[in-house]
Formats: sequence, C-alpha cells, structure tokens
Amino acid sequence: MKITVQSRTGETTLECADNEAILHAGLRQGISLPYECATGTCGTCRARVVSGDVEVRWKEAPGGTRLKPDKGDILMCQTRARSDCVLKVPSEVGTMDARPAPRNGVIRNIRKLTKDVARFDIDLSVPMSFEAGQFVVIDSADVVGARAYSMVNFDTEVRRIELVAKRKPGGKFTDWLFGAQQGDPEVAVFGPLGRAVFRSDEGKNILSIAGGSGIAGIMSILECAVRADYFREHKGSVFFGVRTMQDAFYLETLARYVDSSHGNLVVTIVLSDEIAMTPFHADYPSLRLASGLVHEVAGQAMASAAEDAIAFVAGPPVMVDAAIRGLIICGMPRQDIRYDKFG
Amino acid sequence: MTWKRICGLGDVAENTVRKFDVDGIPILLVNYGAGYRAIPPICPHMEEPLEESSVVVRCILTCTKHLWAWKLDTLEMQGETEKPLKTYELKQEDGSILVNVQQELVYEFDDEDEEDDFFK
Repeated sequence: MKITVQSRTGETTLECADNEAILHAGLRQGISLPYECATGTCGTCRARVVSGDVEVRWKEAPGGTRLKPDKGDILMCQTRARSDCVLKVPSEVGTMDARPAPRNGVIRNIRKLTKDVARFDIDLSVPMSFEAGQFVVIDSADVVGARAYSMVNFDTEVRRIELVAKRKPGGKFTDWLFGAQQGDPEVAVFGPLGRAVFRSDEGKNILSIAGGSGIAGIMSILECAVRADYFREHKGSVFFGVRTMQDAFYLETLARYVDSSHGNLVVTIVLSDEIAMTPFHADYPSLRLASGLVHEVAGQAMASAAEDAIAFVAGPPVMVDAAIRGLIICGMPRQDIRYDKFG
Repeated sequence: MTWKRICGLGDVAENTVRKFDVDGIPILLVNYGAGYRAIPPICPHMEEPLEESSVVVRCILTCTKHLWAWKLDTLEMQGETEKPLKTYELKQEDGSILVNVQQELVYEFDDEDEEDDFFK
C-alpha cells in the first residue's frame, strides 16, 4: 500500500506492507516520522487519516486518549493500512540515515535478577548494529501488543541482544516471560529505535539518572564508554535508584566499570525504601550507597555533575519528569538532556 | 477591551506559574522575573497541563514532558519547539495584574493545518 504523508515540511510517500504498523514502515524507509515510545503509550506518533482504510490494533492505547477517532485520528504505531492512504502528521517529517528494520528473534536465557526483574537474550535472525542507549520493540504472537526494551549490551553487528524486563502487576508480556512458557519463544523484533543515545566522540561528561529497569540503556552507554576508554578523559556520574538493596542488580558489572574508569566514574545506588547503612556497598566497595529518591539524591550532586555533561534519564515516568525538571533548573541545556519514555 | 483583574502583584512568585479562573476561562500566569505572561494552561504540543509540567528558568518556560520551550520576553520558540505560545494581553495597574480577555485562547489540535497554514 502507498501511504502519502502530509506534514509541515511537505509531502512524502512510503510503502506499507500488509501487516506492518505505518510507523514501522516509514522508519524502515528512512522517513523520520515522529515517535517516542513506538508502543502506544506516549501519543507522539499521532496522525489524521485524510483518506483510505486503516485498522487500529490497540484501540485503548493510553497514548491515544486525546485523539479524536471520529475525525480519523490515529497513532501510527498502532495502525495498519488496508488501502492506499493519505495521512496528515502535525510535525516536521524529513529523512534520516538510520534504518530500523524488522527481524525475527528467539528468546533465550531468561534469568531472574530480583524478585520482579528478569534479564533475557534475544537471538536475532539478522545481525543488528545500534547506538548505545537505543531500544527495540518486541511483539509476540502469544501476547497482544508490542513492548519496548532497551539493549543492555553494546556492540556492532550483534546476533544477540540482552534486555531487562520488570514484572508489573497484570503485565501480560512479563507474566508470559516470567511464567512457565516452554522452549525458546519466537518474537518479532523491530529496531533499533530511540534518540537518547551516547557516542564515544561526544567529548562531554556523563550524568545518568536511572530508576529500576531504566538502568538497561545506561548499561549499554557505560559499556560503550568503557570500551572506548572514555573515562580516561571524562567524568561520569550514575545514580541508580531502587527500592531496597534486594532490588538492585548488575552490581558486579557496574563495579567493574568503576574499577576501569581511572577514578572518573562514580556509581551511586540510591535506596528509596531502605536506609543505606554504609557509604559503600559491602560486597562491591567501588559502588556508593545513598538513601532517598534517586532524582533528589542526584539533584544534590547535579550542580557539579551536570557541568559540561550530557544527561541520560530513564525509568518510571514520574522519576523521569522530576529528574528532567531538576536538570533544567540547574541550567542544563535542553539538547544535552536525553531520555526515553516508554514506561 | 475587557480588562479583568487576575491577581495582585506578588501573588505569583518569581519563576513560578499559577493557574487562575477568570470568568470561567482558565489562564496560567507566568512570572519570569522581568515580567509576566498570561497563557492558556496547556502545552500546545500534547496538551500537557503546564501548571504541573512547566519549569521557568532564566526567562525560558520549558514543558518537561517533551522539552518544548519558549523565551518569555520575546516568545521566541527554543530548540525543537514547533508551535508558538498564545498569550493574553496583560497590564499592571494599582498593584494588580489585569488581562484582556475577549475569548478563551485555544490551540487547534485537530485542525492545525488550517490555523498554521502548514501545507501551503
């Protein structure tokens, strides 16, 4: 099907396959349609169908609550074309070099990290290169709706990506993932996506504020930085918020990053529901401990840590909003604040 | 001209915002230190409630949801911001702030093209 997109920057066309979300179709062809979460929660990819037939997959998507379906408003991440269509997109739409693509994947090595967080691998049918901090969208035939997960690992042309999932009450995908599904489940993988990326030629310090499973993308950023020996020249501050020490994970890897950072990377585990009894972790003395809400603890250190830095923020939406507010108040330029919100 | 008193000078602290109801019309008053702006209380991007989502620092109002931002003295759009703020005319008189309210200013989410003439 041919999709004609009318935007502020003019008109562009793209080809959309039968069972493909219009957003995916555009992105895979290098057309920079607006999006943030790509999974129906943020509402950034809204558009209006001027003509043509479409099928909306997830009608109750929370990102669509302000749309006017009677006027043809849709979320492009949730919509398939059933005929040639003309869409209006209320943003600037250009072209981009990145070409995210659909791949098949097989889930392997699911392992619980805490009582409600698990890590798993996906073996990809075709290798994928991505930037540190990016995410993929996972779709399973067994569970309706796609989910976004940030890569934990970092490399080029990878056959295997590592991801982290937090089990949410009533979350069907994680119930399925944590549950007794047998064998090696097959999933559809679309990506890589996301603009909250780190490149080892940034030339700035790194300030990361992460809550819970939001640490995933930060791990990829740190892996990329450590490999490039980035902390020889630059400072890094990571604030990793969890409820209690039992909820923290990846500590061994984080300690290893600190130990290879020439003293320039500081990682603080921030406990919201528990008092940190010592200033350093008993088993991983490279890691600092603090008590409080992660954005507040980070806020106290922000004035110095934010200097000449890029900030990466990831985690529950309330935490992300509060952290961004703190960063703006302490004077960080908007273009140096990078975040993905698909919580 | 329908000038309505919105509040007293000093009722809204510097670098903060506060929402008022002026004869049934919701208006957000922004004190950016060097002056005030009276605007609709939602972000023109995704209708976020600016009373909660905005930060005012160094004369710039930023919506923390997607980082759209405007310079408050010139109303210049900052960075990737794609739509201008709408403002009510405002004046200070006898210790009060007055706004000129003809009708409620709204952002046309469903017919942006007609309003902004994008596609011409």
